[in-house]
Amino acid sequence: MTPAIDISALTKRYGRTTALHGVDLAIEPGRVFGVIGPNGAGKTTTMRILLDIIRPTSGTVRVLGEDPREAGPALRRRIGYVPGELAMDTRVSGRALLTHYAQLNGASDRARISALAERLGLDLGRPVRSLSKGNKQKVGLVQAFAHSPDLLVLDEPTSGLDPLVQQEFLAMVREARDAGQTVFLSSHVISEIEQVADEVAVLRDGRIVDVSTVDRLRAAALRDVRVTVPAAAGDAFAAELRRLDSAHDVAVAASAEHDIVSARLRDGIPAFLAVLARSTVHDLVVQEPDLERAVLQFYGGDASDASASQTEEVSS
Amino acid sequence: MSALPLFRRALADSWRGLVGWMLGLAAVVGMYLPLYPSIGGNPEFIAIIESLPPELVTALSYDQITTGSGYTLGTVHGLIGFVLVTIAAVGWGASAIAGDEERGTLELTLAHGVSRHQLVLERLAAIVVKLVALTAWVTLLVAVLNGPSELDISTEGILAGGVALLGTGLVTATIGLLAGALTGRRMIAIGAGAGIAVLGYALNALGNQNADLEWLHAISPYHWAYGTNPLESGFDASVGLLYAVAIIASAVAVLAFRRRDVGV
Repeated sequence: MTPAIDISALTKRYGRTTALHGVDLAIEPGRVFGVIGPNGAGKTTTMRILLDIIRPTSGTVRVLGEDPREAGPALRRRIGYVPGELAMDTRVSGRALLTHYAQLNGASDRARISALAERLGLDLGRPVRSLSKGNKQKVGLVQAFAHSPDLLVLDEPTSGLDPLVQQEFLAMVREARDAGQTVFLSSHVISEIEQVADEVAVLRDGRIVDVSTVDRLRAAALRDVRVTVPAAAGDAFAAELRRLDSAHDVAVAASAEHDIVSARLRDGIPAFLAVLARSTVHDLVVQEPDLERAVLQFYGGDASDASASQTEEVSS
Repeated sequence: MSALPLFRRALADSWRGLVGWMLGLAAVVGMYLPLYPSIGGNPEFIAIIESLPPELVTALSYDQITTGSGYTLGTVHGLIGFVLVTIAAVGWGASAIAGDEERGTLELTLAHGVSRHQLVLERLAAIVVKLVALTAWVTLLVAVLNGPSELDISTEGILAGGVALLGTGLVTATIGLLAGALTGRRMIAIGAGAGIAVLGYALNALGNQNADLEWLHAISPYHWAYGTNPLESGFDASVGLLYAVAIIASAVAVLAFRRRDVGV
């Protein structure tokens, strides 16, 4: 089967700076493929090349079997795109703007536009420039999904959306996959990638550092924990935590009323719970793992140095 | 599928501005032309003109101001009308690509089923339609005021004046469009469009001063339009240069915009 996206040795240079250093990526049709990485990693550059908004310096790109440089408008009609920096400032209504985009794609399905807008809670009658950032983002989502494209390229599609709408968006992504559409999305939100992506690529400094499943990445993720214990009990609690293999960066902040112990955990949750059960705990916060940070630490040189020095500190 | 979606969108987005320019032009033309009987034919005013430095008089084309066609050229086509049409053309030419790109809205349009050359051509067509509307409006106003203001301009002169004014607007707009297509920078596009208009005016004024500088007329778009007063003598072949430059600038804009990255 022809991959929906097939990129090999893709390089993009702007003058002296290189945004992409030979990226290889193949995405099978009907999959949801997530890409994560810090700002400037090359996510947006890669997506813009797929849409022929910018042109590669070298390498080959095939989108739905065609070269975006040669295929022209016919290929882009089969793609739905939400740009990372979505800008909309027109005076016209959301309905008029969406109808305009639909006409550019050679199809105007008003009923589908209305249904999508209703689903996301978007008022189509208001001028687009008067909409909040979140509502503009909804306009961006509707225009990408409206023509039921074979491929969806979504750059940070949920930025500015409230959690309920994010959930609705994720449902739309799943439905798109079930209908055989391919989804290529970038996100900073781990739960989002986790809930919908079949595969994840990690992009750093213009290179793919890993392609993996969400489960494997998640196992490597560090969770920030913060435990509030009675005053003066912090040091003893911290000492117990340091005995756990999974705990890093244990620190104590003492105050007159109570001590706050913070640490970062890599799995090992049962042992952590056992420590908690033996102690008096006033409050507990466990943050969702920051997948992006964890992955970058996992593959980056700096992070392994940091955890090595941490181990030394514990053993000494 | 509806035809020319970008063209229609461009017109729908800017008809308010067009109406504003038409009202402004109506106010200016309606103010200047009715004054002709009390200025252009007035011996005292002619005495004032003759007392002015001749360089100033020729620079402003006031040496022809005692005829209705000379007065109309010196006030409307060659001065206030020229300035207003130029400003409108600069704005439209610069916003068609560069302005849209700087606002970040061009990226999403290009991500849909349109080609680069289609985008340039449809937006150029919208600019042409608006400039035709503006200059046709000026031409109509002059025609209406021709009798009451005792201008005594021939019908061919009125039409030729409108065609010359349209030509200057097209040159300005397409040079701005071209600069925007090449660079994507709005200020550069504005500078290029306004620059060609101001430069053309300045070269013409300098060329008027003496015979040694007359060669400057050959490279002045303003002179191509008004070197021989179209309101007086009708159509002149040199106006064709304006349209040739506009067509070449448009073609280069299409080619340039097809080649480059957008929004970086």
